[in-house]
Amino acid sequence: MNDLPPPVVDYLLAIADDKHLMGQQHAEWIGVTPFLEEDLAFCSIGQDELGHAAHLYALLAGDDDTAIDELAYRHEPGAYRSCWFVERATPIWAEALVRHWMFDAADQLRWSLLAGSSLSALADLAQRVEREERYHRLHSDTLLDGLLASPVAAEPIGAAVTALAPFALTMFEPVAGEPDTVAEGVAEAPFATQRDAWKQRTEARFAAACTIDWPDDPPYGDNRTTRSADFGPLMARMREVIDLDPSAVW
Amino acid sequence: MATYEVFLKKDGRDEYRHAGSLEAANDDLAVVLARESYVRRAEGDLLWVVERSNVIVADDDFLTPNADKPHRHHDGSAVAARRKAARNDEQKS
Repeated sequence: MNDLPPPVVDYLLAIADDKHLMGQQHAEWIGVTPFLEEDLAFCSIGQDELGHAAHLYALLAGDDDTAIDELAYRHEPGAYRSCWFVERATPIWAEALVRHWMFDAADQLRWSLLAGSSLSALADLAQRVEREERYHRLHSDTLLDGLLASPVAAEPIGAAVTALAPFALTMFEPVAGEPDTVAEGVAEAPFATQRDAWKQRTEARFAAACTIDWPDDPPYGDNRTTRSADFGPLMARMREVIDLDPSAVW
Repeated sequence: MATYEVFLKKDGRDEYRHAGSLEAANDDLAVVLARESYVRRAEGDLLWVVERSNVIVADDDFLTPNADKPHRHHDGSAVAARRKAARNDEQKS
C-alpha cells in the first residue's frame, strides 16, 4: 500500500469516495437526461470525477495497483468515507443538476485547501483537478443561467434546492483523521472552514428560485463511518460486473 | 433550441473540419456542449461553433451544371495518346 499516516489515508479516502460516487451518479444519467447533448456532457463530467477518484485511490494504493479496485469496490460499507449527499439517489433531473452545481462549488473550495499541500503529489493533483473542474462549473452555471431566467424551470429547481440543502451540508462533515491531516500540512485547514463561503455562494446562485432554510443539525453520519440508505443499492449497481467473477484480472 | 454546426482544427497545417451538429438553447451552452460532445478525447485544438441558420446555403440546383463538364477533368490521356502515336510514326519512318 502506501506509507501515509492513517489519518491522512482517512482524509484522502473521503475525497476519493465522494468523487467516485459523484462520478457514478452523474454517469448513470447517460441516455435519460432531457436531451442528447446533455447525456454526453453530464456523463463526460462524471468520467472526469471518476478520473480524479482514480488518481486519489492510486495515491492510497501505492505500488499495488490491484489495491485500487479493493478501495473502490471491495470495502465494507463502514470503511467508505463518502458523505451522504453523494450517496443520495436523485431520480429527478432538477436534483441531479442542482447537486452537480452544489458539489462542484464545494469541491472548488475543498481543493483550494490542498493547493499548497505538504504532500507534493496532492498539490500537483489539485492543479490538474482545478483545470478540469473549471469546465464543470461552466457547464452547470451556463445551464442554470438559462433555466433560472424562466419561472417554469425555476420552480422545480427551487424545489430541488430545498430538498437537497440539508444533505448538501454533509459534504462538510469531517473524518476523524482531519485534524491530524491539517496538523501535518497535507491540508491547509479543515473543510468545514469553507462551509459558510459555500452557503453564501449557494444562496446567491439560487436566489431567483428559492430562499434556503439551512438546518441547524445536518444529518451527519458519525465522522463518515456510517452509510445512508441509498448507498447499498448504488454500490450493488457499481459492483454488478466485478461481482460476476471476483477472481477476474482486469 | 437551435441547431449548431461544430468544426474542429488540429494544431498545425490541417484545416478546420466539420465534426458534427448539436442542439442547444443558446450560444454559450452550444460551446460547452460542443466541448463535451465532440472534443472529449482531444480530437481538436481549436473549436468553431456556428449556428446553422447563419450558414449561407446554395440552392440544390446551383451546382448541378458543373457535374457535366468532362473537359475540365484534364488527366492528360489525350495528350499522352497523341505523343505515343507520334513516337510510333517516327520509328516507322
